[in-house]
Amino acid sequence: MPHIISRTPMMSQSRRPAGVPADGNISPSVIQVIVKTPGHQNSFTVAGDTSVRQFKEKLSAHFKCQMDQLVLVFMGRLLKDHDILSQRGIKDGQTIHVVIKSKNGSRSLAHSFRKLLTNNPCHQDRSTKGNSSGVSQSAGMGQTKEESPLLMESDAPKVGTQGPELDSPEHIAQMLKNLCVQRMLSNMDIMHQLISEHPDMQELLQQNPEISHILENSEILCHTLELARHLSVIQEIMQINQPAQNLEHLQNPQPYLGLETIPNGNNALGQSYDFNNQILNGMQDLLWGNTFTALLAGQVLEQVQTSSQSLPSSSEEQWPRPPAQVIYANSCGLSSITPTNATLSNANHASRENPASVAPKGQSHVCAIQQPAGIPTLPNTAVTQELQEDDKGMAIPVGTSDQGLEGDLQQSGEQTSSQLTGGMIQLLRNYPYMAAQMLLLMNMPQQSEQWRQQSPTSLQSSQLSDLLLALANPKTSQAILQIEHGLQLLATEAPILLPCIEPSLWGLGWLPPFSCVYPDTVPWTLNVSDMAEPECGPQSGTVLQKSQPPSGDPSHSLQASEVRFSKQIEHLQTLGFVNDNANVQALIATDGDTNAAVHKLKKSQES
Amino acid sequence: MARKQLEGIWHTSIVVHKDEFFFGSGGISSCSPGGTLLGPPDTVVDVGNTEVTEEIFLEYLSSLGESLFRGEAYNLFEHNCNTFSNEVAQFLTGRKIPSYITDLPSEVLSTPFGQALRPLLDSIQIQPPGGSSVGRPNGQS
Repeated sequence: MPHIISRTPMMSQSRRPAGVPADGNISPSVIQVIVKTPGHQNSFTVAGDTSVRQFKEKLSAHFKCQMDQLVLVFMGRLLKDHDILSQRGIKDGQTIHVVIKSKNGSRSLAHSFRKLLTNNPCHQDRSTKGNSSGVSQSAGMGQTKEESPLLMESDAPKVGTQGPELDSPEHIAQMLKNLCVQRMLSNMDIMHQLISEHPDMQELLQQNPEISHILENSEILCHTLELARHLSVIQEIMQINQPAQNLEHLQNPQPYLGLETIPNGNNALGQSYDFNNQILNGMQDLLWGNTFTALLAGQVLEQVQTSSQSLPSSSEEQWPRPPAQVIYANSCGLSSITPTNATLSNANHASRENPASVAPKGQSHVCAIQQPAGIPTLPNTAVTQELQEDDKGMAIPVGTSDQGLEGDLQQSGEQTSSQLTGGMIQLLRNYPYMAAQMLLLMNMPQQSEQWRQQSPTSLQSSQLSDLLLALANPKTSQAILQIEHGLQLLATEAPILLPCIEPSLWGLGWLPPFSCVYPDTVPWTLNVSDMAEPECGPQSGTVLQKSQPPSGDPSHSLQASEVRFSKQIEHLQTLGFVNDNANVQALIATDGDTNAAVHKLKKSQES
Repeated sequence: MARKQLEGIWHTSIVVHKDEFFFGSGGISSCSPGGTLLGPPDTVVDVGNTEVTEEIFLEYLSSLGESLFRGEAYNLFEHNCNTFSNEVAQFLTGRKIPSYITDLPSEVLSTPFGQALRPLLDSIQIQPPGGSSVGRPNGQS
């Protein structure tokens, strides 16, 4: 008997599978395992000899997914379907990690990361956005961005649908007004993805990986959308400028051409490693696009000629200068094509500096371009020479609205600067809101900061202010003082004009901030030229007046506007608004909407 | 696992498949090893080997990034880079990271100094620059 008894346990032991306790007082087959998925944890009671496949069946029912989506990991080892849990050493109380693969995404995700991982070590990110990758050395970075966005917000589905719409300029304006879009604009990652999804941009990124860091700048991306409104215009301009561009700064000329069609192309080419410079580029690009709109209007040449003659003067720093400065900030937009650090801030407000002395960094031509903007006295030839000496290729877009101008730009400094001036003034006239915004924000960076914080919804303005903050430099204070001086003079001489200059006064702290309204700045633009001539100085008034005569595209000239809005003007006059200039400007601002123009005129009169 | 000293608090990250993954206020990020602003690590601890493929791992990270390790979930003491490293290490190898790292927050908080500074420290968001975010492609779950 004892033999039998003693033998039995031994036989039982040998029959038991390895790893099971020999005493057998607990059922070896039932274990409780902890199943951990990313973010969740559950307990499962299963038999120890369950196969992985059976376990997966259970899990798929629990997690409501397909079995082939499940990946089981235990102690760093992947569990195969044919494995037995106990054979893999899974005991009671141990944890199995489960990954539920997405149905399609795993491959693309891995692919995107493979590209990401093959990049050179991430450079320091100079952007204030902590999770951007900084300067990238590989095209994969850009693509990775688009594939790995932080689209965890509810806006995520919108991104896909709105992506293609971005390519259509006529939708952009409508889109930008959408609050949801504005919210998205504030999300750098979404915007980055939107931009990156553009096929041209992808191609560009492949060829010029260093621009990817620019894409991570939300301001630039935001302004890209703004600029996209004039995409067609920009394309035309870029294509015109294409042949004469000096591509020595570009590592690959091809993507530059492609960039022309990309709203952010100009910025992208600017291999600026400075955050401010990036912002600057974006802003420049944005603003420059508007300038080019004016340039393309065909009025540049004639206006340029006239305005250039009037420029060389020691006119006081009245409002023409600030707008000019503003406009020249725009002009730097195209010059931002130069892939060099921007000394735009230096040049922008260097109202009296010799252009040659301004441009320590790469964007010398940009600075040079900006010189005349802030300096009515700057000789055009000097500007041109500066342009020619430095980044010539980049200077091209500045002054060209057609190929004829393009040639002139490189040869005739006078034309260049005059074109710039004309373009700037056109910009001011056509987009006084923007010009005024830039003016104000340039003048008072601190206030603009506060204002921006107070008005988060005013996204584009805040973006502008950010960009202009980047421009802030010691020269800005000079300009501010000059403007303030001029405004003080204006206040003493013609206080009635103060309401017209309200926006700028706000910027200088004279009035409480408010959202600049189109007609407020618009009549200011013209009224000053008409009425403030004694104060502003003959030259500035002359500049404006000479820039007004139509010489080209009727849609951009005042008289043409008057023609267009003749009915509305009559209507306004019957309502009691006798100031034709103000009426026209208000109508331009509201695009012919009489009611809105009335509203704006009323507001300007009251203020 | 790579560790870097960051203002007296250990910052850890997991290096796997020749890439470094870490968690910060910007969510889960990745870069090449030693590629963040912090530079190469002070100490490298070998946590083990894993069979998990890169594809699965990235999938896993995406899930983590959407659930447990979103950027806004970052808390300097209780849900920080070490939490992430610990979690990922367990996933990859079944082992945890050294306890003196994960115990650091509680050690600090157990001091009067830590308690006094708790509100301030809670608001600190750390995101070592130099990485890029890990996330899923749009629209896929």
